[in-house]
Amino acid sequence: MRSENELIKLLNRDLNLLSFKKLRKQNISIRFENEELVSGLNYLKSQNYIHLATISCVDWIEDNQFELIYQLFSYEDKISLSVKTRINRKTSKFVTIKNLWGVAKYYERDIHDFFGIKFTGNDNMDELILENWNEIPPMRKDFKTRQYVDKKYDWRQYHGQE
Amino acid sequence: MNNKYESNKWQEVINWVQTRSLFMLHYCTGCGAIELPPTMTSRYDMSRFGIGPAATPRQADILLITGYLSTKTLRRVIYTYEQMQNPKFVMGFGSCTINGGMYWDSYNTIKQLDKYIPVDLYIAGCMPRPEAILEGFLKLKEKIETGSADGYKRYNKEYEKYKKNQEKVLGEVKRRQ
Amino acid sequence: MDKSKMTEMFFGPNHPGVPGNYGINYFYEGDTVVSAEPNPGHLHRGFEKLMEEREWIKNTPLVCRICVMEPDINEMVYAMGFEAIGKIDIPKRATYIRSIILELARIQAHIFSIGGNCGAIGLYTAMQWGVLTRDYILDLFEEITGGRVYHIYIRPGGVRHDIEDVTLQKILDLLNDLENNRMPEFQKLIFENPIAQKRWKNTAILNQEDALSLGVTGPALRATGLVHDVRKLMPYAAYEQVDFKVPSGQDGDAWTRLKLKKDEIFQSINIIRQLINNIPDGPVSLNLGNALKYKIPNGEAYVKIESSRGEYGYYIVSDGGLKPYRVHVRGTSTPLGLYGVESLLPGCRIEDVPIWAHSLGICPPEFDR
Repeated sequence: MRSENELIKLLNRDLNLLSFKKLRKQNISIRFENEELVSGLNYLKSQNYIHLATISCVDWIEDNQFELIYQLFSYEDKISLSVKTRINRKTSKFVTIKNLWGVAKYYERDIHDFFGIKFTGNDNMDELILENWNEIPPMRKDFKTRQYVDKKYDWRQYHGQE
Repeated sequence: MNNKYESNKWQEVINWVQTRSLFMLHYCTGCGAIELPPTMTSRYDMSRFGIGPAATPRQADILLITGYLSTKTLRRVIYTYEQMQNPKFVMGFGSCTINGGMYWDSYNTIKQLDKYIPVDLYIAGCMPRPEAILEGFLKLKEKIETGSADGYKRYNKEYEKYKKNQEKVLGEVKRRQ
Repeated sequence: MDKSKMTEMFFGPNHPGVPGNYGINYFYEGDTVVSAEPNPGHLHRGFEKLMEEREWIKNTPLVCRICVMEPDINEMVYAMGFEAIGKIDIPKRATYIRSIILELARIQAHIFSIGGNCGAIGLYTAMQWGVLTRDYILDLFEEITGGRVYHIYIRPGGVRHDIEDVTLQKILDLLNDLENNRMPEFQKLIFENPIAQKRWKNTAILNQEDALSLGVTGPALRATGLVHDVRKLMPYAAYEQVDFKVPSGQDGDAWTRLKLKKDEIFQSINIIRQLINNIPDGPVSLNLGNALKYKIPNGEAYVKIESSRGEYGYYIVSDGGLKPYRVHVRGTSTPLGLYGVESLLPGCRIEDVPIWAHSLGICPPEFDR
């Protein structure tokens, strides 16, 4: 069982990290370049980080980038590891990891539905949760909910209100 | 309904018999459905009033819309409502059917149920207690007995208006019986 | 795969055998399922976008509506994420009260789930008993917090108000009644019933390598032999001060999972008794200033707790402003409800599909959000 400092030393020695940070007890975050991410995840899976909890996405509209975060966990070290990378907002393309964890197919399909990112190698990108949606993907920061709701639905009129 | 039996005595007898045996469709559409099991089982017993659950819409009288409706569910509710036989009644449950409720500024839920299918009775609350649900059912029985629960007649008369509202939100709605 | 010889079935949203508003479309041949695919999205309300438009304190009544069977876990994880980014330490009495509320919520969720499983095979008496016993615990919640189903009691900085000694004594009386009078009757009717045993043994099997590669946690993973529980791996609230065991099984079928739920009810009763006997005095919440102007510094956190079905986590990002920048919800049954249907259901018989869906604990509003 390793402590947080031993794990950081091991990763610095074996992988090509851009940056790392110890957030609090039992929680560390590391960052990769786009091309190094899949081989980094492969190495971590062989070092007992076998539990993929989820894949999240954040829209940094001022930097013009999307950020993808893979949440991993190890039952032996008891450390929760967030693996991050940033991609360009205009092209919005990345590779799939469905050969390492099969369940990642559905997490990537969900991110495509809400943010519009395409994953090459994943051939089923149909709509999962929305139906017949023909505006920009709703979780992006330039989608204004209040204007959309005022245009599409009507509010109830009460007596005494015009 | 058959016009021969529109005279008062026959209609009163039919209404009296109908209020004592109502079947409710068992379709949990939203988060208000968590207070239905206590109402149906032995603590706040609902079957002492003659109300019981039915599994298919072809044999049900009441459609209970428990809570909010997303646009995906609204399409299925319209198909279900058109499959039920006349006379049929709709009850709106909770504050999300009245004016949008807690999710008033969401892009995926509807704000007023009254524009898409005709409603006979609303029950207030978020979510209503089992005692409030039972009082709602007793009020519905009074309305049926006096003949003023006529949502299904309104749907037939004003069909074009309802159809226009439904297609504004959903796009194209295929009708199949 | 020749689809012209198979029949398509919509085990769809309007069905009494499915746990919630959720659909599965599958092809079957003879009696066995050949291929299946999920149909989610009927309960989507757009929570993650709504949470970005409201201030930090205004999200507290909204968050508890994500999972309807157990609303307290959502309030707890949101408060934990806020306190982790802001580096806030809450008073000790508040951690004990939070643990008591979470364990009571676990007991009522397990009782409801055992009743639902019995309803799926036709044992309707046990379903009525389950709903009735859970109602007595909801009466207790109404005395403590003011509401039967949605409590809005745990918030950033502690809990809303204090519990009196009279109420703590009522909790102990109810737990005595549950352990001595009601659980033996459940034992005789359900767990010593030869017809129910024959129906549940060797049905809906989940083995260990499938469970680990999918990311399954909770009783479904502990029924295959491993003993992993977030309360022991990453302790939170007052769980380091109490002494309890984590039960586990070997076979991985529906019978083992239901027996584990019954054992966990007894362990929870034990935990609540230890907490009430050792509860300290003091304040129950911190004063963080004007509630409409809460602010925490730049940062991020991934926090998780153990709900009655497994690991439940939130990923919160803050940019130093008055509203959250991003909140991502990871429900417990996301891997099973979406990818598990495609990879684990083929090979099952048609009459066992409701047992598969109910005993693995699939709750649709968690992954629809």
